[in-house]
Amino acid sequence: MTNKTLLGTAAALCGLIMIAATPASADLLDDIMKAKKIRVSTDLAIPPDGMMDANMKPTGSDVEVAQLLAKDWGLELEFIQTTGATRIPNVMTGKADVIISTLSVTPDRAKVIDFSKRYATLESDVGCLKSMNVKDWPDLKGKTVGVTRGTTQDTTLTNMKDKEFNIARYEDDATDVTAAVSGQIDCIGTSLPIIAQIGKKNPERIFEAKIPITTFDLAIGVKKGEPKLLEKLNAWVDQNVKNGKLNAIYKKFHGVELPPDMRG
Amino acid sequence: MGGHLNINHLMFLGQGALWTIGLSVIALIGGGIVGFVIALARISPLKSVRIGSAVYVQLVQGTPLLVILFLGYFGLAAIGLKVSPLAAAGASLTLYVAAYLGEIWRGCIESVPKPQWEAADGLALSRTQRMMKVILPQAIRIATPPTVGFMVQIIKNTSLASVVGFVELMRSGQIVNNSLFEPFAIYAIIAVVYFAMCYPLSLFSQKLERRMGRGRSNLAPA
Repeated sequence: MTNKTLLGTAAALCGLIMIAATPASADLLDDIMKAKKIRVSTDLAIPPDGMMDANMKPTGSDVEVAQLLAKDWGLELEFIQTTGATRIPNVMTGKADVIISTLSVTPDRAKVIDFSKRYATLESDVGCLKSMNVKDWPDLKGKTVGVTRGTTQDTTLTNMKDKEFNIARYEDDATDVTAAVSGQIDCIGTSLPIIAQIGKKNPERIFEAKIPITTFDLAIGVKKGEPKLLEKLNAWVDQNVKNGKLNAIYKKFHGVELPPDMRG
Repeated sequence: MGGHLNINHLMFLGQGALWTIGLSVIALIGGGIVGFVIALARISPLKSVRIGSAVYVQLVQGTPLLVILFLGYFGLAAIGLKVSPLAAAGASLTLYVAAYLGEIWRGCIESVPKPQWEAADGLALSRTQRMMKVILPQAIRIATPPTVGFMVQIIKNTSLASVVGFVELMRSGQIVNNSLFEPFAIYAIIAVVYFAMCYPLSLFSQKLERRMGRGRSNLAPA
């Protein structure tokens, strides 16, 4: 078992213990409103969704979504530092109120937490050196594709049947990009902004998206059994899809727009 | 995304380094105190105390620190106890360090030659006097190198505390790296900072060994 699956298992275990041990608490939405503060679990090391600017202030698309939510609801915003693997345990154990952290909606996750309506999507592709002639999966035969460990790209590529390419797993996006910049890998499975980042770091190795992998819905994660909070979040997402604010945030950081039905 | 390393990034790394130091100090002081008790319990004349402490040591030594940290932070929260990342990380590291230091120190106490114990008994010293005046002063000298070696490891192991949302040196480096994409520069800085924390400790240990060893070298063995 890798560290992340180990952590995931431990997290699920802790969650089970919690479900068994804690009595139904007061309504989370009431608690948030009473505290005048919302605690958001966001990984600040997954650019361009959560990262730090030159002044070491949090920035990124998820950060701005969280800021917009807090502003609309008139609340103070507190980011709960987390890594990818601990996003879900944070809300399950009440360390944070909601997750806004490139959380893809998957059936497995839906078993342990509730999801709001999607507020963004995450498109990922296999990107390769521009000069390479890659159009479809068979063209990758014998090549190595770099991915970030434990991400949905990793899971999707790992579970593909009859694949003839190798997978190299790296710790985070920055390491992934470094592998591509330094020539360790010629192909990378990640999101568009990260693929574009490679050419900026090394103009001699410009990568472009070659094969789409999947598009995931990203949603706000909430502890199970909080219908009032979920309903209010859904209304908020609807409203901000309609007024185009979510699309604007996405475009600012990802360089592309959300799917047509989410452009307001 | 992108940009260049600036003073703010360095300040952020500096803050991370302070947390690493703080966490190490908590772990070493807490672990040292509990570990000392464990070491004495391991050589207690009472069988139940010996067995109890041995079980504790085996349990903790057989569990990855990562899992202890995880259980401390999320596990305790799951049963309704509120713990901050600092408290969870401090307590987990204390438990972990205590198990190892306890065992290291037990070995050092027991390696004080048998005739020393017998001589103390022969002088009609009480159990406490024998420990304080004869055995421990000799055991401490034996214990210095392995203790310092272990301390250095702990300083580096504090990087695992990032799993509970603790932004220490390693995690702050990761965060900076993920906004700059300059791994070589950033990890080189982090390596230097870790080295700057650990090397003085090793130097101090050498000095301590020399000082405590003085006047011993020309003693003929008994």
